Amino acid sequence: MTGVSIDGVRVEREGRVVLDVRTLTLAAGRTTAILGPNGSGKTTLLRAIAGLEPLRAGSVSFDTSAAETKRDVAYVFQEDVFLRESVHWNLEIGLRLRGTEARERQRRIAGAASRVGVEHLLERRADRLSGGEGRRVSLARALCLHAPVVLLDEPLAGLDERGYARLIDELPRIVEAFNATTILVTHSRDEALRLANDLVVLVDGQVLAAGDAHAVATNPRVAAVAEVLGYTVLTLPARRIAVPPGGLRLGSGEVECVMTVDRVVDLVGAAEIVGRVDGSVLRIPCASGDARPASGERVTIHATQFSPLD
Amino acid sequence: MTAIVLRTLLVSGLATLLAVLVGVPAGYLIARRSFRGRTLLLGVVNTGMGMPPVVVGLIVWVMLVRSGPFGDLGLIYTQAAMVVAQFLIATPIIIGFTAASIQALSPRLPDLLTVLGAGRVRTLWLLAREARLGLLVAVMAAFGAIVSEVGASMIVGGNLERSTRVLTTAIVTETSRGEIERALLLGLVLLALSFVVNLTLTVVQQRSRP
Repeated sequence: MTGVSIDGVRVEREGRVVLDVRTLTLAAGRTTAILGPNGSGKTTLLRAIAGLEPLRAGSVSFDTSAAETKRDVAYVFQEDVFLRESVHWNLEIGLRLRGTEARERQRRIAGAASRVGVEHLLERRADRLSGGEGRRVSLARALCLHAPVVLLDEPLAGLDERGYARLIDELPRIVEAFNATTILVTHSRDEALRLANDLVVLVDGQVLAAGDAHAVATNPRVAAVAEVLGYTVLTLPARRIAVPPGGLRLGSGEVECVMTVDRVVDLVGAAEIVGRVDGSVLRIPCASGDARPASGERVTIHATQFSPLD
Repeated sequence: MTAIVLRTLLVSGLATLLAVLVGVPAGYLIARRSFRGRTLLLGVVNTGMGMPPVVVGLIVWVMLVRSGPFGDLGLIYTQAAMVVAQFLIATPIIIGFTAASIQALSPRLPDLLTVLGAGRVRTLWLLAREARLGLLVAVMAAFGAIVSEVGASMIVGGNLERSTRVLTTAIVTETSRGEIERALLLGLVLLALSFVVNLTLTVVQQRSRP
């Protein structure tokens, strides 16, 4: 197994720092999700690991016991990138370039296609696949390579609801089949927690939190991390707290504040109250038995669970 | 007539080959690299694609004539001078079409090939393969432009009967002599030649269509 060590990596574009990572170790054999808002440097970090991004400073090293010094990675790009050839050729080209023997190439292609469910697509033109098919073929191409490090840049991006639901169920098994150190970029907390053992939160090019996924997700500690993880950050008179998704309710409680209602959204059988506390927009579920407040009305809300912030 | 046809093929074929050797890498660099003056350079190339051959011929003549800066080379009124002029006409066409066909590829394709394990040369080869339809259009357009031009060949070649007369300049000569039937025959040969070359390239292009 191969781990990845990132030491003092700095990437600049047009004089602006887009990535500044002092120290980060991605443990061998584990799946790490890199989570952050748009433009936080997630893809740049992945490209730096793949050796595709020129570094202004620092280094990325693979901790491997093998004598192999070449950076051996498989990369699933955010958008589908294929040669204008058949799916089979697109799966085979990486193996050819790596000097894999013909019989082994066919064995790996058949195995990966079967695992990802694209056997029926092998003779189709790769650049004419649908979004869901393209995602699967990209995953199969990465799987064929048997690379010790696999980089997945938003592997579920651009899928429709049905395709997303099917692939997110299958993805844990596919990631397991990689049998590699897998690094996944996502801006979805849900995807990160479903797929990863470890979590790295990246904001404005800097690592604000890293560690075991459950530990990071349940104890965000700083507001920026909490927001990335989907928490609602509330500023109370003496402290700031992070409330996890679904942790706010109408009515009084131990930790409460007053919200000004903007509107009530009817969700057929349920409703959502959209309002503001100190300029922050909040969405509170409104149970069917609750009285629906009017726009402009001030209502008391409380947190059913929360984490204190530093 | 056979000598004129062979001379036409030799001069225009050699000029096209040289233009491909220079124009394809140049078009790739313009398409893929960011550098100061890139847009200006692309503008110059696009202007060059529509440059009148007679103007190119005049510039080359000024350079190669005995009293010109490269007069000592003794190239004026030779096939080499015609190749130089036709090369200058063909190269912007090759660069322009190459840049356009490379730009039409996914910008992530070089990254993909790098990650898959292709070195720099293999990456370039695979990208050229990917853009092959556009590159063959570039070759056809360039060859078509220079095999049919008359102004540059006339000025720098001098239309010498046994050494620099090609099909287009021969047509001008026969027409001016009043030999209309012979001029028409040469015109048909030129059309047939152009058709055969372009048909061959088209067959290659369509066979390699992904």
